[in-house]
Amino acid sequence: MLGLPLALAVAGAIVAAAGSGMLIDRFIYQPLERRGALRTTLFIASLGLLILIENLLAIVFKPDPLRLDVGRLADAVQIGPVFLTWLHLVSVATAAFAYLGLMAFLKYSRWGQAMRAVSSSPEMARTVGIDLRRVHLLTYAVGSAISAPAGILVAMDVGADPYRGTTYVLLASVAVIMGGIGSIPGALLGALFLALLENLGVWKIASEWQSTISFGAFLIFIVLRPRGIFGRKIQSAEI
Amino acid sequence: MTAYLAHYLVMVGIYAILAVSLNLLIGYSGIFSLAHAAIYGIGAYASALVALKLGLGFWGGLVVAAGVGAFASALVAIPSLRVAGDYYVVASFGLQVVVLAVFMNWTDLTNGHAGLPGIPRPNVFGWVIDEPFEYVFLSVAFAALTYAVCWRLTNSAFGRVLQAIRDDEIAAQAMGKNVVQVKIVVASISSALGAMAGSLYAHYITYINPSSFALHESIFIASLVILGGSERLAGPIVGAFVLLAIPEALKFLAIPDTVAAPLRQVIYGALLVAFMLLRPEGLLGRARTQARDGR
Amino acid sequence: MAAEAAPQREAAPAPIMAVRGLARAFGGIRAVDECTFDVRPGLITGLIGPNGAGKTTVFNLITGFLKADRGSILLRGKELLGLAPHEVERRGVVRTFQHLRLWSKMTVLENVLLGCATPMGESVFSLFLRTAAVRAEDTRARERAMEVLEFFGLAGRRHQLAEDLAYPEQKLLSMARIFATDAPVMLLDEPASGLDGESLRRIVPQVRRLVEHGKTVLLIEHNMELIAELSDVVVFLHQGRVLAAGAPAEITRDPALSEIYFGV
Repeated sequence: MLGLPLALAVAGAIVAAAGSGMLIDRFIYQPLERRGALRTTLFIASLGLLILIENLLAIVFKPDPLRLDVGRLADAVQIGPVFLTWLHLVSVATAAFAYLGLMAFLKYSRWGQAMRAVSSSPEMARTVGIDLRRVHLLTYAVGSAISAPAGILVAMDVGADPYRGTTYVLLASVAVIMGGIGSIPGALLGALFLALLENLGVWKIASEWQSTISFGAFLIFIVLRPRGIFGRKIQSAEI
Repeated sequence: MTAYLAHYLVMVGIYAILAVSLNLLIGYSGIFSLAHAAIYGIGAYASALVALKLGLGFWGGLVVAAGVGAFASALVAIPSLRVAGDYYVVASFGLQVVVLAVFMNWTDLTNGHAGLPGIPRPNVFGWVIDEPFEYVFLSVAFAALTYAVCWRLTNSAFGRVLQAIRDDEIAAQAMGKNVVQVKIVVASISSALGAMAGSLYAHYITYINPSSFALHESIFIASLVILGGSERLAGPIVGAFVLLAIPEALKFLAIPDTVAAPLRQVIYGALLVAFMLLRPEGLLGRARTQARDGR
Repeated sequence: MAAEAAPQREAAPAPIMAVRGLARAFGGIRAVDECTFDVRPGLITGLIGPNGAGKTTVFNLITGFLKADRGSILLRGKELLGLAPHEVERRGVVRTFQHLRLWSKMTVLENVLLGCATPMGESVFSLFLRTAAVRAEDTRARERAMEVLEFFGLAGRRHQLAEDLAYPEQKLLSMARIFATDAPVMLLDEPASGLDGESLRRIVPQVRRLVEHGKTVLLIEHNMELIAELSDVVVFLHQGRVLAAGAPAEITRDPALSEIYFGV
């Protein structure tokens, strides 16, 4: 719409995503948590935000799908007997980069270590002087920022519309649970597994049943191994 | 004007059934479900199909709808509730998506996007319900029935167990209550009632298609419960009266159609966020003093 | 008469509950390790030991809230291991919690009512199709609940919310509601903790009265004197193992055990 070069658009998207995440955390989630809100209350607030933002986007940008012109990325590339497009390769590379980058960030940077400390024990983190609010904000910023490239790739691949996000959130939630809540390698494995499953399923069964396959896999998974691949043992409560 | 009012009242009745039954889960059992629209849809489609393809009457359609709804819900509840309540949210989200996919893609059965037209009007003991105000009567009658069933359920030993589970589930287990079984029973009853609402809807509008039963509808029904107040049985009914009036109010502002639909959703979303920040207990709930730790 | 060397009380009946080789580890830590002891019917058995000895873990294992790695818990010869908490209660073992876990937004009466048998009122089928029988059952349950409340001296507070009670009365309520279940074996997790003077003098005889009504009590307590005063048998737990079991006087006066308990 604005005719800006792609690189700038990508950067802008990431900044916008990270910014929105932080604003939502700062003005809605954190105030709710400070008031001792129930988890359900936070969840409902997030649902409200979901439909609010989706529909605001629909009003401002019209609900029709927008497709990003990818130019030469749509060109085919042949690797052995397989035909891909450059876009596919870029997607895989982006995912790898995001994953490795995040793991490195969590392991080696000061902020990453702070995030892990808070995740492990907020009380201990506070006593060693970590600012919980800032870490909270940062977590939302990082999480939201990483989602931006995914959205861009989808826009390039199949087109983006305001309501598409919900499906991906469901898939992501399923992937996270299958991989084990709290484990990033688990999330990656869960996502890969899910994607493989869906596409193998599409090969044999009609493509409209993709979501059924994912959901079926999810149900089987939680029956057999509710904690997921790498998750910690589920302790229902402290007795 | 009166036909307009009749339509509003019929829909309030139907949504009251949906919201009160969902509140059995959200408010009384502490289980959040995102699949109520799917259940609503299952009831609508089941009832419509047995009427169109099997010639089954109104009552038969209701029973089938309730049964299929309860079954679908149990299918999801049983594996996920055994783990933890949080899993039910994601599982219900999944159920909602899958059921909608079935509505849209199993075209042999459901006619897909095109939907099912020509659903017959209900024939209740020989009385064909054709006039709008007659339908108001039917809708309100079933809403009252739903309320009565939920009242009996919650004002009893069973209701006590529900409240105990909500308050402290571990203590309930230690006192011999089979918490998972109770939750599955509640989920089934809630879904049977929600599916019944779907049946009423199908025979009222006489045409159904998948778009009425998508995720945003689940969120809408949940907002009726939350904004009306989940602590009281009547809360969702108040929610229905208020929130269903909003689109009507919007009509008076002469907003173009393309904007009206998403704008309505923007308002619902904004209301949800605002209420969570300012009055989480809803319209009928008791104002809470500084909340203690949510368990 | 029984030999003086036997540590248990003479002419003791067979145990109502037998814990054998119970074990549970968390990561590398063995919270409970080869734990073996008897609980004899109609007596008060006190479980004592330093902090972290694994006492509450034993309770959690017996009542099914934790899965044991190994071992066996026999109640009247039937295995309890592997049962879910509500099934353990059905077999006849109830417990209180260190943090009480009362249903704070429910009244005192309702808390106790939930312990009284109301199977019809809790069955959806009966609720809608056998209204007269359900009503009769409800009346009976309320009568029973009132008896229990009188027994614990809480009758006057029956319509108050559990969260509005004073702490000593909350402790009594947590005992009252499990007493209402009629279960023969009662596990009390620190029934006297947080109490002093006057309240203590109320709780102690109340626990004695439970036994007079034919109950078997297994309790966890930190207060050595209290355990000595209250228990018929004492089991000393340390690092998840039973170090000694016997008459209170012996255990509490044993210097080696005292050293472990109070720390070097």
